[in-house]
Amino acid sequence: MIRVEHLCKRFGDLMVLKDINAEIRRGQVISIIGPSGTGKSTFLRCLNLLDQPSGGRIEIDGEDILAPKANVPALRRRMGTVFQSFNLFSHLTVLENLTIGPIRLLGKPPAQAATTGLELLRMVGLAEKAHSLPDEISGGQKQRVAIARCLSMEPEIILIDEPISALDPTMVSEVLAVIRRLARQGMTMAIVTHEMEFARDVSTRVFYLDEGLIYEEGPPERIFDHPQRQRDRDFIGKVRSLSYHVTTADYDPYALVGKIEGFCEKHLIPHRIAHAAQLLAEEVLGVLLTPLAPPRAVPTGQIVASSALAGTASTGPPLTVKVTASPAPSGPTHPDIELVLAFSEKQRSLEPRLDGAGPPGNPLETANLPDDFALNLIRHYAADIGYERVGERNRLRMRVQSIAGREAVAPIPLVRQCGAGLGGGHELDSATDGDPTEPDRFGRLARRTPATGMTPHQRLSS
Amino acid sequence: MDITHSQHGSVRIIELKGRMDAVTAPLFDKAFAEAATPDASDFVIQLNGLEYISSAGLRSILMVAKQVKARSGRLILTGLTDEVREVFHLSGFHTILRICDTKEAALAELA
Ligand SMILES: Nc1ncnc2c1ncn2[C@@H]1O[C@H](COP(=O)(O)OP(=O)(O)OP(=O)(O)O)[C@@H](O)[C@H]1O
Ligand SMILES: [Mg+2]
Repeated sequence: MIRVEHLCKRFGDLMVLKDINAEIRRGQVISIIGPSGTGKSTFLRCLNLLDQPSGGRIEIDGEDILAPKANVPALRRRMGTVFQSFNLFSHLTVLENLTIGPIRLLGKPPAQAATTGLELLRMVGLAEKAHSLPDEISGGQKQRVAIARCLSMEPEIILIDEPISALDPTMVSEVLAVIRRLARQGMTMAIVTHEMEFARDVSTRVFYLDEGLIYEEGPPERIFDHPQRQRDRDFIGKVRSLSYHVTTADYDPYALVGKIEGFCEKHLIPHRIAHAAQLLAEEVLGVLLTPLAPPRAVPTGQIVASSALAGTASTGPPLTVKVTASPAPSGPTHPDIELVLAFSEKQRSLEPRLDGAGPPGNPLETANLPDDFALNLIRHYAADIGYERVGERNRLRMRVQSIAGREAVAPIPLVRQCGAGLGGGHELDSATDGDPTEPDRFGRLARRTPATGMTPHQRLSS
Repeated sequence: MDITHSQHGSVRIIELKGRMDAVTAPLFDKAFAEAATPDASDFVIQLNGLEYISSAGLRSILMVAKQVKARSGRLILTGLTDEVREVFHLSGFHTILRICDTKEAALAELA
């Protein structure tokens, strides 16, 4: 019924819609969701030419409505609009608001218009208010009248922009119920809404608008339950995020800590999670700022520190080979790392994501670290560590171990108590085996170092 | 990170407060080097006020433990906060370092 191709709209220098391509078929209910200011309202206003598109094509039943010879008023009449402000005529009764359009614009006989008007008012549950003035009814009732008025013009499609955002919460359900009913009756609708639950159960398709595009579209189950892309995942999960750009190895850690603390306080994130987020930020940034292992062959007799990650079975005996030296550390000369801390209100989960320019390869596996302390901490405090190569950049994402639930941290049962040593204290060169039955809770990267979690050369006996 | 030194008999006591991270760990290295005069052999590191330790801090503490061992001395860490205890545990530190609840207990042990 409506086909949109390469629609764009700019306001002066501001390109709001870049390239919108969409199709709306008869009987479909489309929900349009997306962050504020991304052009959802603008898109609807372009559809019925309240805003003049800057480019592209809009067809209604094959007719180009942007063509110079198009009959805009007639085309517009086929599309009803219900916007946030109800725009009822305040000096006319509720029923007169519903009959004036059909009488003046559609040439309906007044008696017939009144009969239809009453039927519509009955449908939205307001027949008894037919003779009230708009000021005498509530906001929710006004919005229902606005919907009935729109229907009185017998549109083929209804464009609805945030029908409830101006309403008191107690009135939301009555308006949504009316729209649901229209949907069930097969009315074609495009609805801009921030009500995700409503969008999920009323619509046949969802358009997620972002960056001037229909960034993702699909049936509600897919968009809400399996969003494919990061931006709408975040939007749907009500994700708040903090980002921090690191361009030097001497970045100011206190500025970063301050930001993380402030962010966590603002979102009432428990202290232990905030603490873990700080540790992960420091440790992963440390790894990303560490130079890669030199490409030259490893001389025989040496094992580089990362061998524990690169394939040594966690159940194997502890290595006893001493690592002699690691090359002089000098990090990437011009680091360019984006740290994002994303907090999902819906799932109550906190996700550090780090994204840095560099040669391909998971930095957690390729970095030439002096020991495994950092990796141990990362693997302990993060779950579901994922690596992805995007363009010229390496992306790491992880989730801070669960916010709800995990009470005391489960001690990692890897170490046996050792006998006395070190001046009455503990033995410093104890080597004990890991528990091979301990399940792997760290996913792909979860090869834990044997025994104490330290590589052998770290033991003090060396 | 705040660092304070004191001495109890022949035992050198270093108290750390705040955050021990990549930036502050070298300050601890330096403080230890100052405290470790040739006659010093036993050390207590008080951590009640330490609320954060990262791998850089672990590395420093391990280096200090090695130095103490090299001089045949004793080292006891005291007063671990929950955060530090967790990091110590998962790095295996509780099995290779002597840890006491309080400074008093540590001093009694070293007496
Ligand atoms: N008439 C206008 N002149 C100039 N800029 C405009 C005009 N109308 C909208 N904009 C700008 O276009 C962008 C998109 O606005 P639009 O109202 O379409 O967003 P939206 O997705 O509906 O947001 P919200 O969810 O907050 O309603 C905004 O940056 C807005 O400031
Ligand atoms: Mg809008």
